Order: sequence, then structure tokens, then C-alpha cells
Amino acid sequence: MNAETTDLSVAAKGISIREFNKYYGAFHALKNMSLEVSPGEFLVLLGPSGCGKSTALRMIAGLESITSGTLMIGDQDVSQVLPKYRDIAMVFQSYALYPHKTVGENIGFPLKVAKTPKAEMDAAILAAAEQVELETLLDRLPGQLSGGQRQRVALARAIIRRPSVFLMDEPLSNLDAKLRGNMRAELKHMQNSLGITTIYVTHDQIEAMTLAHRVAIMKDGELQQLGTPKEVYSNPENLFVAGFMGSPPMNFVEGAIANGVFTADGVSLPTNQLSDLSKVTLGFRPEDCTVVEKGQGQLDAQVFTLEMTGDQSLVTFRSGDKSMVVKMPKDFEIEPASYAGIAFDASHACFFDTDSGQRLRPS
Amino acid sequence: MKYGLFEPRKIGEMAPATKVVLYTLLLAWSLFVIFPIYWLVITSFKTPAAVNEGPFFIPWVDFKPSLHAWRDLFVYDLADTMRAYFNSVVIAFSATVLSVFVGSLAAYSLSRIEFAPNLITILYFVLLLIGASVAIGVYGADLWLTLAIVVAMFFLLARAVGRLYSVRLKNGDILFWIISQRILAPIVVVVPIYMMFQSVRLLDTHLALILTYAVVNLPIVVWLMFDFFNSIPRDLEESAQLDGATMIMTFREVVMPLSRTGLAATTLLVMIFSWNEYLFALFISTSKAQTLPILVAAMNAGERGILWWTMSVAIIIMIIPVVALAVVLQKYISKGLLVGAVKG
Repeated sequence: MNAETTDLSVAAKGISIREFNKYYGAFHALKNMSLEVSPGEFLVLLGPSGCGKSTALRMIAGLESITSGTLMIGDQDVSQVLPKYRDIAMVFQSYALYPHKTVGENIGFPLKVAKTPKAEMDAAILAAAEQVELETLLDRLPGQLSGGQRQRVALARAIIRRPSVFLMDEPLSNLDAKLRGNMRAELKHMQNSLGITTIYVTHDQIEAMTLAHRVAIMKDGELQQLGTPKEVYSNPENLFVAGFMGSPPMNFVEGAIANGVFTADGVSLPTNQLSDLSKVTLGFRPEDCTVVEKGQGQLDAQVFTLEMTGDQSLVTFRSGDKSMVVKMPKDFEIEPASYAGIAFDASHACFFDTDSGQRLRPS
Repeated sequence: MKYGLFEPRKIGEMAPATKVVLYTLLLAWSLFVIFPIYWLVITSFKTPAAVNEGPFFIPWVDFKPSLHAWRDLFVYDLADTMRAYFNSVVIAFSATVLSVFVGSLAAYSLSRIEFAPNLITILYFVLLLIGASVAIGVYGADLWLTLAIVVAMFFLLARAVGRLYSVRLKNGDILFWIISQRILAPIVVVVPIYMMFQSVRLLDTHLALILTYAVVNLPIVVWLMFDFFNSIPRDLEESAQLDGATMIMTFREVVMPLSRTGLAATTLLVMIFSWNEYLFALFISTSKAQTLPILVAAMNAGERGILWWTMSVAIIIMIIPVVALAVVLQKYISKGLLVGAVKG
């Protein structure tokens, strides 16, 4: 990456999504989504497949119509504006490179469309290519490139025009794991140096955690929680977010709260002034607990497996049809099928209303 | 180790017996394909006597080659030959261009836009058309008045009835309807088409044949190109759109270059159909717009008997342009979709 990149940056624009709705016939794909993206922010839309995140992105791009709601880019209402007038660049999951054009022609296509003079265009192509380290491959066809190189071509094509908004639809999901890690870092660096407002769609929570300034978690067309990666990780608003974020995700124990005390099978835990409720789910993160001798922790369970992942050991417990995972140091050993206790820091525990899924807060 | 006859000796090699069987079949097939062409060429160099006394197979040995037939066609009947040749070139070329142009645009829109025509609207449009035809043809109603009434009724009904029924057709239905035009045998429609061109005084013109061929080949173009356009990822067009390209520009810069293979194959196919077409040409053209197939067929039924020798010459000059076109377009048909399927 070049040092001069900052010179090329433009005044970033904010995006304001107000009460977005999308219907496909009777199917309600996106439900009343509202979101403010500040200028220069890297926002990640995260969710399982079919949650409407790609639909939302395509609506922002103008590739799908907005059934109801308003979209503002900067201070301009672009809800009904054609995609090409929205000043947006998009990177597709498939990269969408033109197979019959060379790398240089691919990168320069937005300028060619804009009828930029040849000399100016060539200079811009070279500058964009240098930024993604492709300057030696300008005469190749996309078919002769590796996956990572194709990804860079798509990026260069997006940055050449200096759009006011970047949209990225799972741009890294076709790369192998190692390359994905590298590209993630480069993407973050590039977005940071260009300062262009970016909306990034992914189903990979690691990507979301590492890239985003803020993460918007979606499910079934509804926005579940919006916040910094740290917030959504340590302070989930509901059961879905708690179960979606983290790998492995949060452990859950179902029980009830009576007289301010949470009770479940063999568990009894004082809560911080929570009102009584008959169906409550207790959640705690695998890294917030430890495996202890049977009877020493808050609950006991049978060990199902022990997995060594290199930097740590994951101990999976099974009781009934529920499983719980505890993260332990890498040299931890335990006999499968033996019984052990799980101890956790009660201050990190979260309580949820089992029926509505909402987080319970002290009143 | 003992190998069976049909077992390969090495990985990646063919078994000896397989090889023998395969090459025998290929050789037999080549003879079957090449012999008629050989026979055609030598017949064109035979005198009538050599043809009738035959069969002779080897020039200079069996018979003495002669330019007699070639002279007949290119010296004595030069004007007729060249006119038919020129007609065929103009008609086949124009019809192909028209058909491929209109057909690929139709195919593109069918592959990219979801149409939803109202079935009821279509049905009463057809009913109105039949009613108008009966009124004009049988009861002698005034043409313009009837048309005005039909148009007015159509719009009134479209608003009133069209809203009540919402049975919608889909793109697949439209596509099937288009290809169904090809199911009809041409002989069934040739008389109505003849009468149609007669009434607009276009019989025996290039235009009549060009229009007929273009329309007859349209379903093939739409059907083939629909598949090609469908195979182009939509991401490419959406990306071009976001980058600021207009629809026409997207079509020209992205879609067209990527469907070159399909266009080449389709063009070749339509060209061959138009070039070889006989039935419509027989009805619609009489002398001015006569095409090569008619010229060849005429040699079959002259008062001098069947002129095998001149017919051979005519067929040879008829084959040459198609072969040339196939060679030119072949480099585009790299996928080989239709390379083996078309006849030359």
C-alpha cells in the first residue's frame, strides 16, 4: 500500500437508512430497518444466510427497489435514484470481473464509462493497481489470476472512482482461510486510509469483529442489535445475538428467577435485582468459566469431548440434550465421560427472558 | 500378466481392440459423409453421356472430365445463375441479420425481466381480433370503423375485465409460445403467407422472403440466445450498472462480448436454414426473387430430363459460402455447442 493514499481520499458521506421495508410478494424480507452510518465509518451487517442483510445492501446500492422507507447518502435523498447516480462502488462476492477484459480494462471500466480522457485514465488505473499491488498484472485476463488477485482487481475497480460509499457483499468468502486473514487486514487498512464510508455484509462473525467500527446483527429481516464489536460481544441484547456471536457461542442454562435468585437444575445464583420470572435463560461465555472438581462449581455435568485447537482446549459438556463449552488453557487434560463442575464469574453472566429472547436488566 | 482385448495396456491409452473398432467406425462414417460430396464434384465434370453410361468413379480413368456443365451454367445461363446467387446471398444475409438482432434482444429481455402478461387480456384480444375479422370479411363492415371499435373495446375491457382476473403468464410460458411457432409445419402456413404477401403486392420480392425467413427463424434465435444470456452472471451487469454504465452500454460492453459464442453459433444456424430453405421460396418467388434451391430444383424438372451435371455445379457453388462462413465463425464456437450439430 502506498503512502500517498490519503491524498486521494474524498470527503466521506454518511448514510441514513430510515424504516427500510422490502416485500417480495407477500414475503416480508426486511422489516422496518433503521440505521445511521456516520461518515468514514466501517459498518458490518452480520447475520445468518437469508436474514436480509444482502437485500439491505442491494437496496442501498439501488439494485433492489425500496418497498417503503428512505435512504439518504450525505444530505441527499436517493431512495428513488438510479444506482449509477448514487456514487457507490460495490464489491461482489463473485467479484463480477469482466472475463473478456484485461485487469487494466477491468479496473478502468468505471472511468471508461465516465468518458475520462485516456491519459488520465491510464494514470488512475496505474495508481489504483499500485494500491492493491497489481501493477505488474495489468495485461492479464481475470481467468489467468488467482482468487486473491481477482479479489484485488475487484477492489481496485471499486476504489478507482473514489466513490462516497463502498458496499461489499461477502467479498472474502471465496478465498481460502489464510488469504482471507491477509485480505481482511489489507481491507481494514485500505478503508482506514481512504476514509470512505463502508457497508460490509458477511455471515462470518470473525470478519465482523475484526473489521467493523460497528456491527449490525440481523435475523429474519430484523435488526437485532447495533453496536461496537465489543458491545455486541459482551453485552448481547437478546438470545439470538448471544448465541450468534463468539466461537464457540455463549452457553445457556434454562431456569427461573424467584425472589431475585436464578434457579435451575443444580444451579442457584443470586441475580442483581432482577424481577421474578418463570422462564429465564442464563448465559455465560466459554472463556468466562473454568472446569473445576465435581461439586466445586455452580453446576456439574458430564464431559463429552476435549478438543485441542492449538492455543487453547475446548471442553464440551453434555447434560440431557444441552451442551456447554468451556475454554481452558492448551495443556488442560480431562478424561471424557467423567463428571466435573463448571465455575463461572457471576458478574459476567447474562439473563434473558426465554420466551421473548430479550435481555433482562435490573429495573 | 494377461490382458483382455478390450483392456488398455497402459493408463490413458486405448485398448487395441477398441482402437480397431473405433477407427473402423470412423472410417465407415467418413466414407458415408465424404462420398456424396466426391460424387457431386466428379459428376459436375462429366458429360451427359458419361453420367448416363456410368457409374464411373475415377476421372481420366473411367471417364474424361469435361467443363461442359460449368460452361452451361456460367457462360450460357450466366445471368440466371448470378441472379439466383445474388438473391440467395441478399435474402439469407438480411434475414439472418434481422432475425439474430431482433431475436437476441427479445431473448435478453426474457432472460432479465420478469414479464407477467394477463391471460384474460390476451384471450379477449384474440376474441376481438376474430370478431373484427368476421365483421369485415363476412359482413363487409367498414375496415377503419371496425378497427376503431376494436381498439376502443380493448382498452375499455382491459381496464374493466383485466383487473378482475389475475391469471398471469410467466416468462417460461412466453418462451414456450415462441418456440411453439416452430412446431407448426411450414406447409400448413405457406398458403396464408402467400395470400398475405399477395394482398400487399410483395410476391416475388426480396423483402417478402427476408421477412418470412426472419420470422420463421426467430424462435430458434430466441430459444438459443435465451440460454446463452442466462449463463452470463447477473453480477457482471449489476456491477457495470453501479459503475455508471447505461443499459445499452452494458449490453454492448459486457453482455455482447460474452455471448459471442452463442451469437456465432446462432448466426451460422439461421444462415444455413435461410440459405437452404426451399418451400417458402417456391411459393413466394417466381422469377425475380428466385433463390438457389429453386434453381437447383428446376433442373430436376426441365423438358430435357434431369440435368445431373449442371445440378452438381449449382450445388457445389451453393455449398461454398456456407462452408466459408462456418470456417470463419468456427473460432468463436470454441465451446463446440453446435459445431457437430449443424449441417453444411
